[in-house]
Amino acid sequence: MKTNLILTIFIITVFLITGTSSFGFTKSGNQTNAKGEGNIPKYGNWKNFTVADGLPGNKAYAVRVDGDRVLVGTHEGLAVYEDDKWTTYTTEDGIAHNGIIAIDVSELTGDVWLGTMGGLTRWSGGVFESFTQLNSGMPNNLIYSVVCDGKDVWIATGGGAGKYDTYSKEWDIFTEQNAPMHEPWTYSVCAGDNKVWIAAWGGGVIEYNNKTKHFRDYVDPDGNMEIDLFPDDGVVHDITTAVSWSNGILWVATYFGLSRYDGVHWKGYFDHDSGLASNFINFVRAVGDYAYLCTDQGLSVTDGESWVTYVRNENNHDGKVIITTGEQKSEKKLSPSISHNFVIGVDVKDDVIWVATSYGLSRGERIN
Amino acid sequence: MNTSRIKLIIVGVVIIILGLLIYFPGRKLARGHVNYMTAVEGHPLLCTNCHLYMLAEGPIAKMVNKDYYSPFNLAVSNDGSQLYVVAQDAGELLIIDAINNKVQKHIQVGNHPHSIVLTTDGKKVFISNQWSDNISVVDLPSGIVTDTLKTGNGPSGITLSKDEKYLYVVNTFGSDLTVIDLIKKQEVKRLPAGFDPTGISISPNGEKVYVSSRRAHVVPYGEPIITDIMELDATKNQISEVHGMLDAYLMENISFTPSGDLALISLIRPKSLVPMVQVERGWMMNHGFGVIEQKENGRIIQLLIDEPNSYYSDPYDIIVSKDGKKAFISSSAVNTISVIDIDALRKVLDEYTEKELDFYANDLAFSKNYIIKRIPTGSCPKGLALSPNGSRLYVAEQLDDKIGVIDTKTLEPIARLDLGGPKRITVARRGRQVFSNASGTFQNQYTCYTCHPDNHEDGLVYNMAGKDMGRNVTNTQSLREINGTAPFKWNGKNQTVYKQDGMRFSTVLTRTEAFSFPDLDALVSYILTGIKNPPNLLYNPTGELTASQQRGKEIFERKVDNFGNEIPENGRCVTCHPAPYFSNFQFEDVGSLSESDDTIKFDTPHLNNIFTSAPYLHDGKAKTLEEIWTLYGGQDQHGYVNDMTKMDLNDLVNYLKSLRSAKYESKKEKVLNASSR
Repeated sequence: MKTNLILTIFIITVFLITGTSSFGFTKSGNQTNAKGEGNIPKYGNWKNFTVADGLPGNKAYAVRVDGDRVLVGTHEGLAVYEDDKWTTYTTEDGIAHNGIIAIDVSELTGDVWLGTMGGLTRWSGGVFESFTQLNSGMPNNLIYSVVCDGKDVWIATGGGAGKYDTYSKEWDIFTEQNAPMHEPWTYSVCAGDNKVWIAAWGGGVIEYNNKTKHFRDYVDPDGNMEIDLFPDDGVVHDITTAVSWSNGILWVATYFGLSRYDGVHWKGYFDHDSGLASNFINFVRAVGDYAYLCTDQGLSVTDGESWVTYVRNENNHDGKVIITTGEQKSEKKLSPSISHNFVIGVDVKDDVIWVATSYGLSRGERIN
Repeated sequence: MNTSRIKLIIVGVVIIILGLLIYFPGRKLARGHVNYMTAVEGHPLLCTNCHLYMLAEGPIAKMVNKDYYSPFNLAVSNDGSQLYVVAQDAGELLIIDAINNKVQKHIQVGNHPHSIVLTTDGKKVFISNQWSDNISVVDLPSGIVTDTLKTGNGPSGITLSKDEKYLYVVNTFGSDLTVIDLIKKQEVKRLPAGFDPTGISISPNGEKVYVSSRRAHVVPYGEPIITDIMELDATKNQISEVHGMLDAYLMENISFTPSGDLALISLIRPKSLVPMVQVERGWMMNHGFGVIEQKENGRIIQLLIDEPNSYYSDPYDIIVSKDGKKAFISSSAVNTISVIDIDALRKVLDEYTEKELDFYANDLAFSKNYIIKRIPTGSCPKGLALSPNGSRLYVAEQLDDKIGVIDTKTLEPIARLDLGGPKRITVARRGRQVFSNASGTFQNQYTCYTCHPDNHEDGLVYNMAGKDMGRNVTNTQSLREINGTAPFKWNGKNQTVYKQDGMRFSTVLTRTEAFSFPDLDALVSYILTGIKNPPNLLYNPTGELTASQQRGKEIFERKVDNFGNEIPENGRCVTCHPAPYFSNFQFEDVGSLSESDDTIKFDTPHLNNIFTSAPYLHDGKAKTLEEIWTLYGGQDQHGYVNDMTKMDLNDLVNYLKSLRSAKYESKKEKVLNASSR
């Protein structure tokens, strides 16, 4: 009994000294943040999920918060987390393919749309209905991204972008034949401000105006150079991997850095001149004024000026959080850290963040 | 005898000889012609049967035919003094003085109106116009259509939210549900709602809306069918669940008990998994209702209204009495209302397990446990409505232009209100009655309408049980505007509808006496003159093709492929599918034969309104138009397509979806629109 009391006092003392808890960041830790980082959200109390916790597979491609439940696209099917329980849905339930790469939820109807490696699936009223390139006008079965824009559902596929009108049930296909793309391979699509943006492999960003039904493109003024010759002159590279729009800002992810576009000016960010975890960015999601960046070396969050990056140690489940504002950089220990550094998907709702990685799913809570 | 008289006699004799010379060979020729057309030798030689009663257009056709009202659905005013009757064929709302049996007002609404709902204050009705894609809002005191609200494609069943802020509209052709904000007076949401839905009902507490489908999901032949009931959370206007009704389809209508403990759905249980020779074993179509228990873990079960040796086919409407004690189902094909004792039904539900009830879903004798009365009606009873005090049940007798009145206490018919339609029953009208009546089938088991709902097709694949069981299964074909599309059947063996519906029909399908010649004449007359294609408002409302459809038309008519090579004539779409019916009515092998098919060629089908006829190909193996080529196109056997991109195929499919009634096609238009590609 006495031993336990001593141990408890020791743990509390260590906690007070380090300013971190073994369960993650705390709000008190936030007080030591670098100056100028503003209100950029910071997350701690990470909890990781793997197959051992109920996920159908460890490789998680996408995550989406849908009300009280969390939808996770894995290589082994759709995992749904609700009431602290995981439920898995697969091709046996009607999903087009178990490899689920993208998820979106229609604000209009509440339907869930799943972009998979073998087609597009609508989950409505508990029933899965699948569209493929064989049974519908959908461009291609390999779907990297899906977004609901009112009554339309847009997808980015290996064979062009597609727009499905849920009212008329008609598909439109956009490729290099009818849109300013370099080739039909598209990686990401997002919507906002009555426009749709498509990340087109080798073609930069394609903007579709819902009013005029016309396209325009944004390409790297430096051409195919792998360095950004003239900074902030446009999208940093033509090989774009993801786009996300929020609050008037378009964020463009590439494998060579990040771009931010406010409708007039472009700004580029790289790992060597910002707090970006890596130039190799798999995915970006913009929520409010912040962009959440999924890279091959961790997760970064930014408002365009300050950065918070979460990285996991190579040899254990701990890691660190790196806070960068201008030239100032600070690091803190994180225990546990995110599930894996190869981050593929992210979603944020209220004060909770969910992170899909190549080995497991992570849940963090906002601590500031 | 003078010379002139002799001349007169000679002339007379010559005329008689000539007359005889003409009469006997002429009669022989006529006999041969009629025998060929009817495929029997005994049909009376009446030229008028075909050459008068099968005229669909023109002044003579107008003289021969009549315009009927064909009441389809109805509502009752809050004080019970008036009926609001949807007259489908007239496109009118009829306001009837229910006490004095007098039509007070004719109000023109949209094309082919379907359903009606009355506001709580009784001052306004909403009417769905199925062939106009809109809702007519009628102010009852003034009798004026005050608004027309846009919907999806083919609006049918409608209901109001409990607070009457929203109008829910089932879009049958679009297979979705439109949510109209009645303050904004516009559609704010469109949700998927099964396949070919019509029925809709809101729970008494206003929290839940059910939408029942008519068509089943397309499944390969041999697999059990499932038809959807969509459940809407009316507090969020979002779909909360989709219930699958196994082995059933054609769920026309749905209704809650006043206490909200049960939802009842009219339905048909087709036995399409077995050859149709089973018909004399009571094994082609069964008719009944579904029950969805509203308690937690509530069951979905099915019960029959049929009984041994007697069927109550084509159940349409279902409605529960105000006191919740009885439910009424209109069986359109047998002119009967079946009455269900709800307490007896509850007892059955309490006593039996789901497994046991699943067994009794096929038991013709089980209906004695809850069916307490069969009430006769006029021809083709459709929509039902109760008076506000529940003492009267009103029945829309579609093919008699009357409203039947039934005393809900004695369960006896007490009156029939005449809508004032034509008194003369034309041949085509008689044919429609034959078409919709089950008396021509074994023990009233089904009608033409059963497999051809809305005169179209039910989307199922049947084994018509020819000489080889389990072979040559075929998908039901539409009957819309088939005049001019001979031959008939997938194998084209029937040169006329007479042959199709004559003796072979009774031998193969109805398993009872063949239609009498007058009935057969009438039936053929109706099929060839009275069945129209709905306008293609979804894909071609004006006749002006979209850019994609225009590109598709060029592909349809092209002579050269994408590489500049000439396409062989038999590889061009337009060769076998020329306007106006988009068929050359020749036999072709397009590589679609299945292992279970005999080696035959198929009659080239016409393509007008083809977008409504999924699944495709003779055995329904192609779920969508795309699959005709992506899965079953083979080595360019069904047209030259393997050079096409996915975008080209989409354009072609979009063009095919734009095809409308043949009446819009003309040789002149064909020449003007001919592609230069």
